[in-house]
Amino acid sequence: MNRRMVVFILGWILKLEAVFLLLPLLVGLLYREFTGCLCFLITIAVCGLAGLLMARKKPVNTVFYMKEGCAATALGWVLLSITGALPFYLSREIPSFTDALFETISGFTTTGASILPEVESLSHGMLFWRSFTHWLGGMGVLVFLLAVIKMTGGSHMNLMRAESPGPSVGKLVPKVKHTAAILYKIYLFLTVVQIVLLLVGGMPVFDAVTTAFGTAGTGGFGIKNDSMAGYSPYIQWITTVFMLLFGVNFNMYFLLLLKKWKTALRMEEVRGYFLVVLAATGIILANAYDASMGFFGNLRHVAFQVASIITTTGFSTVDFDLWPEASRMVLVMLMFIGACAGSTGGGVKVSRFIVLIKSVRRELNSYIYPKSVKKINVDGRPVEHEVIRGINVYFITFILIFSFSVLCLSFEGKGMVTSFTAVAATVNNIGPGLELVGPTQNFGGFTPLSKYVLMFDMLAGRLELFPLLLLFYPPCLKGLLGIGRRGKERKV
Amino acid sequence: MFERVRKKKVKGLHIIIVGCGKVGVTLVERLVQEDHDITVVDKDGDKVEGLTNRHDIYGITGNGASFNTLMEAGIEEADILIAVTGSDELNLLCCVVAKQAGQCDVIARVRTPDYSEEAAYLKAKLELAMIINPELEAAREIARILYLPTSIGVSSFARGQAEMVRIKVPKGNMLHGKKIVELSQELSGAVLICAVERGSDVFIPDGSFELAEGDVVTFVSPARDAKSFLKKIGFQTHQVKDVMIIGGGRSAYYLAKQLLRVGIAVKIIEQDKTRSEELCALLPRAVVINGDGTDADVLKEAGIEEVESFVALTGIDEENILLTLHASDVSDAKVVTKINRTMFNKVVRHLGLGSVVYPKYITTEALIAFVRAKNASKNSNIETMVHLFDNRVEAIEFVVGEGTGVTNIPLSRLRLKSHLLVACINRAGRVLIPGGSDEIKVGDSVIIVTTHTGFDDVQDILR
Repeated sequence: MNRRMVVFILGWILKLEAVFLLLPLLVGLLYREFTGCLCFLITIAVCGLAGLLMARKKPVNTVFYMKEGCAATALGWVLLSITGALPFYLSREIPSFTDALFETISGFTTTGASILPEVESLSHGMLFWRSFTHWLGGMGVLVFLLAVIKMTGGSHMNLMRAESPGPSVGKLVPKVKHTAAILYKIYLFLTVVQIVLLLVGGMPVFDAVTTAFGTAGTGGFGIKNDSMAGYSPYIQWITTVFMLLFGVNFNMYFLLLLKKWKTALRMEEVRGYFLVVLAATGIILANAYDASMGFFGNLRHVAFQVASIITTTGFSTVDFDLWPEASRMVLVMLMFIGACAGSTGGGVKVSRFIVLIKSVRRELNSYIYPKSVKKINVDGRPVEHEVIRGINVYFITFILIFSFSVLCLSFEGKGMVTSFTAVAATVNNIGPGLELVGPTQNFGGFTPLSKYVLMFDMLAGRLELFPLLLLFYPPCLKGLLGIGRRGKERKV
Repeated sequence: MFERVRKKKVKGLHIIIVGCGKVGVTLVERLVQEDHDITVVDKDGDKVEGLTNRHDIYGITGNGASFNTLMEAGIEEADILIAVTGSDELNLLCCVVAKQAGQCDVIARVRTPDYSEEAAYLKAKLELAMIINPELEAAREIARILYLPTSIGVSSFARGQAEMVRIKVPKGNMLHGKKIVELSQELSGAVLICAVERGSDVFIPDGSFELAEGDVVTFVSPARDAKSFLKKIGFQTHQVKDVMIIGGGRSAYYLAKQLLRVGIAVKIIEQDKTRSEELCALLPRAVVINGDGTDADVLKEAGIEEVESFVALTGIDEENILLTLHASDVSDAKVVTKINRTMFNKVVRHLGLGSVVYPKYITTEALIAFVRAKNASKNSNIETMVHLFDNRVEAIEFVVGEGTGVTNIPLSRLRLKSHLLVACINRAGRVLIPGGSDEIKVGDSVIIVTTHTGFDDVQDILR
């Protein structure tokens, strides 16, 4: 394990965070919230100094493999969350550190689950930082790092692979740096378009920017206690559309940029994703029709909720906990499906389900023709056996972690639906669940132990399980702590 | 690993490499260092996967000669396509398709003698920018060594007008303890010592540098002066009278053909009966022995003890190494070893094999020179490039155009980078070893020897 390199990357992450924190500091100054500003300044100093110290010297041996990439990513996210929680904690706006950490992890992992009973009392700087963590976490901090800093050697693809969601992460162009830059450009462009459209709808600037951050990262932190319910239908529609857009595989946007219309529109995953959205909207519309709102009112609310849940954003315009059982069940299923791979959304991902369903068909086929050879194709290309195996293992691991977390939470005795959906909403990075963690409720009522379990779930869900699990795997842990045999020092 | 982006004169080129074999992999390794955007194409998905995991490049699994695959690899925006699959025909087809689909320069590897003899025709008709033939290049390099068997290696510059020779200073030689200044006074400027390897260090020596026994010295001189210099310092300079080649592959054929032309007797030991007969027909004046070259008795019978030079050209590196070690043991022949894998060259160096030829390096050097020349401004052009001492020293021959800022100024007044030498100036076919008062003129070609890497423009020599 190349520990120096891991420390070096962590140092860079801290340096970046110090730079990012300048934005909320600026917002705080604009609104003349000087206590908040002081807290941001302290955090910037801490991150900056620690970062400079850790990334002071470039290690001689810059080679690192998958294990270092995963370890750096997982540790980076933990570090990012701890330091990111400092402003909330220092300013006493969230007095308990566990709660502050929960809120920050929820922000960076784009979950949007909150422990705050009401958010409107937070200062503007804090609200901005809270939403900004969504934007950063959505595309990934390491991807940003890759986009701005030149790296030599090919192994840094491992960083991107560890952070980006999806069963097989590929590049768009030969260089990782350019790929990361393209992704961030698309991301930034869509965000700006949304802000402009929201402003056109008469939304205040601060609300528009924070809402766009929450939508872009598919996070879901609102700055109002009633989430999005108080805004005009136009704003709700814009948010619906953009939530869906940010849940689409970004490869499609790249293909559109290249004017490869046909290939872009034929992406099976994107098609499947919109199909699920349409089907879910249809079912809920029929099941939970409320005659008092009229057809378009119903459609607006249902579409908003469906988009919010499948993209794992977690905004809400109505209390869907009051919907009939079948509709709530559809929402819970959407939670697990999640958005497309290569988007900012969470969940298991549509592409994994496509492959899983196709393997079921292949399995059935093999009962009829036991000796038949059949490959699973996605987008007209055979899926490598390794990828299919990876998806199967991912699914099992997901279920194991999920079950274990639900068991942990069940000791609180808050009821099966609450425990189940609390875990589902965090491990899939959505935010609100049902009943006691429903859209009008919050996660503040859990004991600290349960909160830590949920924090682990959020990180595990965002990093797609394995990078985080690897941290607890003895051989990797030993390498990180420097126990065991070291390799021969390389002469340079 | 993190570096702030350096300002770069020209952005990296988009290069497509078809074929992830030995040459393909070496090319990727070298071109990635020079900051180009590289896409590799191979039929074998595992090879592509392995290579893309190790380097910052894009990989596509597919047939490189298919239009769709090339489109996917971005042939429309590509600057250069290099086809180095195992098959000549596929390489050529790939180039033809690429030429139609995009506006890039295409380079093919063509190794079969049938085609390589028509290389000029193919190149012109198919509009190829370059044809590379590693086996032929390796054979040429080996031949140069055999013409001057006391050297370790010889590279040719300025269309053969200048030579760069590597020698090892033996025990008790007159060079031991000599300063470079004294040497050039004694020899009146016909040669220039441009790089010295001592132990694991490489120096670009200045006048006060003192040579010692065991140094590996590289010097540049006009081609005709190299021998007289070697004679002066007490080296034998006659070319070998006969050679024994083990393995009758393509490089053996090219080598034998070249040596026979200058009257060197050739003995080839080839295991395969059919191939032996083929060689016999192709090279009527050579002695072709059908037998196992790794059998000591066969070698003895073929006269290994009396032969003046011995070249191991089998396809297996380990065999080649053992064969030359054996040959050095039983005879005092000049031995040359061909090694394909570059992975272990540090170990190979410690074995003391003498002259080692790496066909892969020769090919990649030529290609890197081409790529760099394409990346450079129009007023300077790279003619030849050679890597010395495990790529730690580069010798580059630039053709100097107008407006480069290095012309018509005495060399002593140019603000040259350190660890850099202007080793040789070639003016209209006349090669001179420059002193401080000499100037570079427009139209000259100059050989620069330096430990800096990545020069693509003659202006890079200035601070």
